Amino acid sequence: MSTIDTGARRRTTDPRPVITDLIDGDTILSIAGDAWISLVGEDEVLVPLPGPLPGDILSSWVDVVGPWTGSVVLTTARATAEELSRALLRESAPEVLDDEDVADAFGEIANVVGGSVKAALPGPSALSLPQVGNAPLVRNPGDVCRVDVVWRGEPLTISVQGALPPLPVPSPTRENEVSL
Amino acid sequence: MRALVIDDSRAMRRIVTGILTDLGYEVRDAGHGGEGLEVLNEGWAPDLATIDWNMPVMDGLQFVSAVRSNPAWRRMTMMMVTSESEHTQIVRALAAGAHEYMIKPFTADAFRDKLALLGLLPQEVAL
Repeated sequence: MSTIDTGARRRTTDPRPVITDLIDGDTILSIAGDAWISLVGEDEVLVPLPGPLPGDILSSWVDVVGPWTGSVVLTTARATAEELSRALLRESAPEVLDDEDVADAFGEIANVVGGSVKAALPGPSALSLPQVGNAPLVRNPGDVCRVDVVWRGEPLTISVQGALPPLPVPSPTRENEVSL
Repeated sequence: MRALVIDDSRAMRRIVTGILTDLGYEVRDAGHGGEGLEVLNEGWAPDLATIDWNMPVMDGLQFVSAVRSNPAWRRMTMMMVTSESEHTQIVRALAAGAHEYMIKPFTADAFRDKLALLGLLPQEVAL
């Protein structure tokens, strides 16, 4: 009796790709830079510099579900998120921004950056609606690509992070042992 | 000329509306496809609809399909304006009846170029 090799056995044992196999920091920086020019303003630049985030921070993110599953997360000070929202809304920004205005604008930036990151990853993948609040936890520190930037002197991070915990390290089997 | 801007992000609606208003368009907006259909059902007939893909309630693809199923709205040009940039998604949108596809992020110049390609620049701007 012959057996058809569907590849299923190989696929279930293959390690999942981690994000650093698929995209690098320079690509994320370039994607974010394009989004900033389009949404925030032509003269708005992101400078790749690490800077400590303050205590009062806000995150916006979208989830990507596909061959790689995780989130594209923007995090910055709440005040910087408000300034970013005001820059995005330009003259149509209300005098006082409420939480909904900030969630909408900051979320849309995550949506645009996340869409471009998704396009750089193997597909097909699905993109969620943007969310704003406390960033999803990092489940696997080995599946994170993070870029630290400064916008108008304020620190901001863009983290592309896997949603799945690390795979267990395979234990050696008798099959793999080599007799000396 | 008239345009209907459909996007669940108020910020993005403001950006697209700003570009179109600067070009001389009369613009109305909607927060999802269902609201967009309500505008059309009022009898307000736009020359152009710009449509986000991922929206709650009724997404962009459902809106395009609904418009295409009604012969009364056949003259309206539909342009997807979305962060969905996978080739398969673009093909799906065009197959459903969208005429053009604009990937976010975009610049005002790129938006204007798309409208020129579609023959939808108001005459005084095109000259």
